[in-house]
Amino acid sequence: MKVHYKINGEEKEFDIQPGELLLDVLRRNNYTEIKGNCYLGTCGACAVLINEVAKATCTTLAAQVNNAEIITIKGIGTISEPHLLQKAFVEKGAVQCGFCTPGTIISAYALLKNNPDPTEEDIKRSIDGNLCRCTGYVQQIEAIKFAIKLLKGGK
Amino acid sequence: MLKLKEVGQCFYPNTIEEAAKLLKESGEDTRIVGGGLHLTAFPNPAIKTLIFLNNLKLNYIKEIDGKISIGATTTISELANSAEMNGYLKGNVKKLLQSIASELLRNQITMGGSVAQREPYSDIVTMLLTLRADIVIHDGEKEIKTPISDFYKSNFRATLKKSVIKEVLLEKFDSTYKFGMKRFTRNATDIPLLNFGILAQVNEDTIKNVSIVVGARPGPAERFAQAEEFLKNKTLSKELAEEFGKFVEENVDVAGDIRVGKEYRAHIAGIFAKRILNEFMEE
Repeated sequence: MKVHYKINGEEKEFDIQPGELLLDVLRRNNYTEIKGNCYLGTCGACAVLINEVAKATCTTLAAQVNNAEIITIKGIGTISEPHLLQKAFVEKGAVQCGFCTPGTIISAYALLKNNPDPTEEDIKRSIDGNLCRCTGYVQQIEAIKFAIKLLKGGK
Repeated sequence: MLKLKEVGQCFYPNTIEEAAKLLKESGEDTRIVGGGLHLTAFPNPAIKTLIFLNNLKLNYIKEIDGKISIGATTTISELANSAEMNGYLKGNVKKLLQSIASELLRNQITMGGSVAQREPYSDIVTMLLTLRADIVIHDGEKEIKTPISDFYKSNFRATLKKSVIKEVLLEKFDSTYKFGMKRFTRNATDIPLLNFGILAQVNEDTIKNVSIVVGARPGPAERFAQAEEFLKNKTLSKELAEEFGKFVEENVDVAGDIRVGKEYRAHIAGIFAKRILNEFMEE
């Protein structure tokens, strides 16, 4: 069957099998910034925004989200023009091995879109589905707080 | 990783009547998909047909006739973040919802899916049983409303081969009601190894209309009638909380499994029972 998505602002059409996972469909079509790992929805490495909500693509069927708008880490900023969250993660040492980073930034981005002034508890809750085995989360939380400051400053 | 290899067709019905009709016609190897988590995390390779509920507009939370009506495809996050939950039972249901699983899973797990799967470790099922929710299903011709405890006493899995869950109804309890639920997990986002909920009306410190539910026993959540009887008409106090904790530890119907032993589960249940009553006194 064919599915249609708007991915990072571009209209796309893919041939899929009805039982396929969104993660597999996206990676097969070169969206390799989405990382596959647990296939149980527990690690968060594969998170993207689906119709503005952060979700794990490894537990989402591609057919279920036909016609959805999808935003990956590359859709919120690029290497030449990074989003302030991406800048903050680099600045605060929140990126180490980097495997969890796309999913974590997606979750933080979803939080800040809905709540530009979150508490520390809100921040922790927003990334509680993104496992990181390098940072211990301290730098990631600092980075999100720093990004909030940058976003408020309009830089 | 193609987990659902045999799926050959999927449907996107526009009405719940159409969804129920498709379900009845498509046979044993068909599954209704709400959030899709259970289907993808624990795939059954025999499934051949999927019926997606996306177009049914069952994402809602609204107040009707003094009840809070929650559409079947409403996610935990949507419910937790809704205005209706802010003051509901002093915000304790909202706090509980925010603590279940992880943000990414809360964004996917639906109320209807949780009710239909009745996973033994489900916090949602324990919560809904404690809150004495009603379940509304649609069989293609009519809606049928059933108290959740009766729904689970019936052959609900057979019913759901021919009917679709439409919504969950919660009573709007007045300010004399108190709710508390605790969950024990190995880490913050893991499934619970025990959950324990209490809803009670407390009038001038006298406990009435109490419902107590234990889940992840490791069997499915069940009402704990003996404990309800124990608390009925008792006066809320620190001594009662202490006594109740011991009663629960000695009488709770739990078992051991690979994760945790029977005695440990019973001990945790006793601690939760005592803590919830102590919290009721602080409210």
